[in-house]
Amino acid sequence: MSRKLAALALVLAILVCSMGLKTAISHGNAGSPVMIANSPAPAPIGPPPVKGK
Amino acid sequence: MPGPLALAIWYVGIALEIAFVVCSIARKSFFRYIFLNAYFLLALGSDAGRYFFLNKFGQASDEYRYAYFYTDALLTLALYVALISLYSRVFGELRFNKYVRFGAVLLLLGTAVFSYAVVVQSEQILATTFAYELSQNLYFVGLVLTYILWGAVLKLRETRTRLVQFILALGLYFSAYAACYALTNLSSRYSVVQYLSGAIGCLLPLAWTVTMWRYAEESRLEPARLLAVAR
Repeated sequence: MSRKLAALALVLAILVCSMGLKTAISHGNAGSPVMIANSPAPAPIGPPPVKGK
Repeated sequence: MPGPLALAIWYVGIALEIAFVVCSIARKSFFRYIFLNAYFLLALGSDAGRYFFLNKFGQASDEYRYAYFYTDALLTLALYVALISLYSRVFGELRFNKYVRFGAVLLLLGTAVFSYAVVVQSEQILATTFAYELSQNLYFVGLVLTYILWGAVLKLRETRTRLVQFILALGLYFSAYAACYALTNLSSRYSVVQYLSGAIGCLLPLAWTVTMWRYAEESRLEPARLLAVAR
């Protein structure tokens, strides 16, 4: 049980660190439509299509 | 259509992705590193889909953007699974696999819940925004996880060359993209970053292919020597 709690605490810590890093790198503008992509494919022109029609 | 430089970078990336899969088959390591191969096979499938939409609708079309960002979310998920498979190999001998799997699922769920909480109140298309947000958040989780794994490799004195090189290459890849992300936020000269981003995309298949080709599964090295400071 204590090991599972330790794993849970570690998971939360990793999540907080990751989101903190993302916010720090993006200068507090973590929701900005910039791209992190996983492929050398040419990025589309413009941000992801998120506006409802 | 994008310019010749962007297309050339893409074709080199595709060639390197194919090279990794071919090298793993040739070195009889395809099933040993099945999740790494699955990632590149999925990347090849994504490339085919993206090429179809790019060719048919153009780079500025909504269709290509949807195809690009949805496949990217899938690829990030596949890379996360590949990273967890490296965790399993490092911690496998300590019989921590059960905890690694439990932690990985928990972390994925936590990231998904966090991403949902971020996008749920927006008036935008939830599915698209969620896929994009999850992809980005999972990416940063992967970055932190890779550094933790590198710490574990040093602490546990892991000596398997392939494993060490795979993890180092992944750390370099994640860090380079994070730097690219920061640069995009700092600079409005987007086109420069766009080429940079494509070039970084070739880094992981290149490093992994070289590792797979140069080193046998039995190769060993001393990771502590990589940190030794020359006097």
